[in-house]
Amino acid sequence: MRALGDIWRVLLGVGVFVGALLVWEIWAGAEESFLVPEASEVLTRAWESWPTSEFLTAVAGSLKRLAAGFVIGAAIGITLGLVMGTSRATRQALDPLVELARATPPIAIVPALVLTLGFGDSMRIALIAFGVCFPVLVNTLEGVRAVSPEARDTASMLHVGRVERVFRIYLPAALPSIFAGLRIALSIGLVMVVISEFAGEGGGLGHYILDQQGQFAYPEMYAGILFLGLLGYGLNVLFRLFERRVLAWHYGATGERNG
Amino acid sequence: MSETADHAQAVDSSAGTAEPVLRVSALGKRYSPQGHAALAGVTFDVEDGELLALVGPSGCGKTTLLRLLCGLMLPSEGTVLLHGRPVVRPPREAALVFQDYSRSLFPWLTVLRNVMFPLRRGHSRAWKIDRAEAVLKEMGLHGVARKYPWELSGGMQQRVAIARALVSRPEILLLDEPFASVDALTRAELQDVLLRVHRDVEGRRVTIVHVTHDIDEAVYLADRVLVLSPSPGRVAGSVEVGLPRPRTQTATRSSTHFLEVRNAIHDVISTRRSTIAGTSDKE
Repeated sequence: MRALGDIWRVLLGVGVFVGALLVWEIWAGAEESFLVPEASEVLTRAWESWPTSEFLTAVAGSLKRLAAGFVIGAAIGITLGLVMGTSRATRQALDPLVELARATPPIAIVPALVLTLGFGDSMRIALIAFGVCFPVLVNTLEGVRAVSPEARDTASMLHVGRVERVFRIYLPAALPSIFAGLRIALSIGLVMVVISEFAGEGGGLGHYILDQQGQFAYPEMYAGILFLGLLGYGLNVLFRLFERRVLAWHYGATGERNG
Repeated sequence: MSETADHAQAVDSSAGTAEPVLRVSALGKRYSPQGHAALAGVTFDVEDGELLALVGPSGCGKTTLLRLLCGLMLPSEGTVLLHGRPVVRPPREAALVFQDYSRSLFPWLTVLRNVMFPLRRGHSRAWKIDRAEAVLKEMGLHGVARKYPWELSGGMQQRVAIARALVSRPEILLLDEPFASVDALTRAELQDVLLRVHRDVEGRRVTIVHVTHDIDEAVYLADRVLVLSPSPGRVAGSVEVGLPRPRTQTATRSSTHFLEVRNAIHDVISTRRSTIAGTSDKE
């Protein structure tokens, strides 16, 4: 019964997806305008354009920036979160600044970043890192503050020093929360990649999409957008697999199945 | 270990066998200067090798008292002396076991690594593993070293927590309602584990302070039961148990002596307002 229900649900999902493609196909076919190509045309062009070196170079460039920005942003977020979570003085000192920076839409700082860092990759990586940093910081902080009093007392009883306490207790205890932050940050990071590539001439998928639009290659533009969707989905799946490995103890302990 | 060197010099050289392990004098605790007292004028001794139970209703400051005893908290008044020296930080001679094993054991570490956790610098890894495995065996835990705590039953997890407390060979073991979150059968089993630890763990006796709200448990385990009364927490009375050891769940609990002691404690609790704190405590 249960298995049948699951199959039915999957079929329904696939059906709605195919249905949406069909609606698009029919609607675009009825529409005279070449601004809206048919789904079949987009898929054909995707098949042709994705393996080209121009496209693959764009993908590689985007992924490189995402990786750099994600690692830098996550490192800053985790470090600040751990420091703020373990030292009340630091938390009080940094709180107003962090709250303000966190409330600022990352896109708003693009003009400022362009002024200070130019149109190159450092501007792009800085923007991605900025967007990634805060969800990671907030989740790390929350995770550290949720460490049980028993765990803290155990550390005190055993004379675990401040620094050692961070690495042996607070960091592992906060890891499930940190990973939740990293997962949110990954999607934000992808958004920041595309936005950062809209500005300047550095290549990448964002630039590619804008470029196709400028050259009236609308099917290719849609194919690029489609690829970004698939990329985001794929990255999320990979991240979850990684998370399951690292946090196997957590999923075991909480009996949670769907993270 | 080097941090205890200065303490070692402070040990009273006249300390003989009669010297109590813990001496608690006129202990009081307020959480804020103007706030109400959680504890007031608490005075008692814990003798070497004694198993002392602290009983009392919720809010009588049992946990506060335990935290003061093990230096997790500093008193507002009075002193706690361990071997004659004031406890101002957690002493290395003491180990603490919490009620909630699921929160005190580290879920990201295997059972073995949890038990190894207190063993730190100055020992080889192989020695630490041997030591942890020896204590696990002592606690009747076989074949669980590579498992995670959450893969074990509640009773087994609390055994792991006790093993972790014993791994660094503490002189004094403090337990905060350690069996309150397990079922009755497991509780009885763990009580016997604790009695065994008290009698002989790796060839020595351990001094135990056991906080509980279960009077029967206190009588079954302890040499002496200290009754606390609430608001503020005070010693309402001290009852010598005097039941012969070794004790068993069936014989000990069904003896008339057991019932007498149990009733004496109930009497102390019901008449606590007219009892002057600590007067029945004789040494």
